[in-house]
Amino acid sequence: MSKTILAVDDSGSLRQMLAFSLKAAGYGVIEAVDGQDGLNKAKQHQVDLVLTDQNMPGMDGLSLIKALRALKNYQSVPILMLTTESGDDIKAMGRAAGANGWLVKPFDPARLTEVVKKLIG
Amino acid sequence: MATNETLASERLNAQVMQLLSGVSEHGDQHLAEVERDLVQMDVLLDEAIKKLCASFMAIHHAVGQQQEALNGLLADGVPSPESAARFEALRGEIDKHVGAAVTGLQFQDMTSQLIGRMVQHLAGLRDVFGALDTSGSVLPESNNEALLATLSHISDRVGTCCTERAGGVRSTVNQRHMESGDIELF
Repeated sequence: MSKTILAVDDSGSLRQMLAFSLKAAGYGVIEAVDGQDGLNKAKQHQVDLVLTDQNMPGMDGLSLIKALRALKNYQSVPILMLTTESGDDIKAMGRAAGANGWLVKPFDPARLTEVVKKLIG
Repeated sequence: MATNETLASERLNAQVMQLLSGVSEHGDQHLAEVERDLVQMDVLLDEAIKKLCASFMAIHHAVGQQQEALNGLLADGVPSPESAARFEALRGEIDKHVGAAVTGLQFQDMTSQLIGRMVQHLAGLRDVFGALDTSGSVLPESNNEALLATLSHISDRVGTCCTERAGGVRSTVNQRHMESGDIELF
């Protein structure tokens, strides 16, 4: 059974490219348009990995990570940030919130799937 | 010895100069930010378009070569180890170009954030100019004291709207090129 990834990003084209890249590598993908939508979908479907943007309207990526880590069934699920931001301060905040890794946009599909494979097989 | 009227005139002049320099300084700040984002966006769009063009041409070339190899295979009847290896290499080449195209296609996400930031700066500029609106409170027959009070009020409004906007326009896009970004696992 294929592993499922929750891709959270307010950019439609970015979600489209994430889905294209991850599905091509054999993963199932659930898309969410912002942090709140991501949290709702994570509650509806137990996913194997969460990939989230930081800057989104409403609930941002850091808030989503904190909310997910507060859920019992998401305490050990890998969460990766995929964002345009690369400052040390915000990375430290991501790490403190419970992120397992930080990917700076734009992403390369091969490198992304390599990281995902390393985390969930 | 300066008369009261002269002192009031000097204060009035100083207040007008302060107001004008405030408008100039804040307007310049907003426009400099818009200019910076436009230049950055232009570079990103230019690189993205070049990458996309190159990737799609390379895909087209690789697909053409694949077709040639297929034709050869069909003519031979049985695929030789060389043909099989060539197919595998071509598949890898196509995957590489598709990956590069996907990286290039992400320009919209970044330019959209830059445009959003520019829109906020333009709104800030509009607020500054809006704060200059005296709504007819400075009448020709007003005395210097009344004019001073009005100008001081306008200066305060300009300062307030600049302060209010300052926190809402943090730059979130620092990319200067369309190369794939760093990956760090914690």
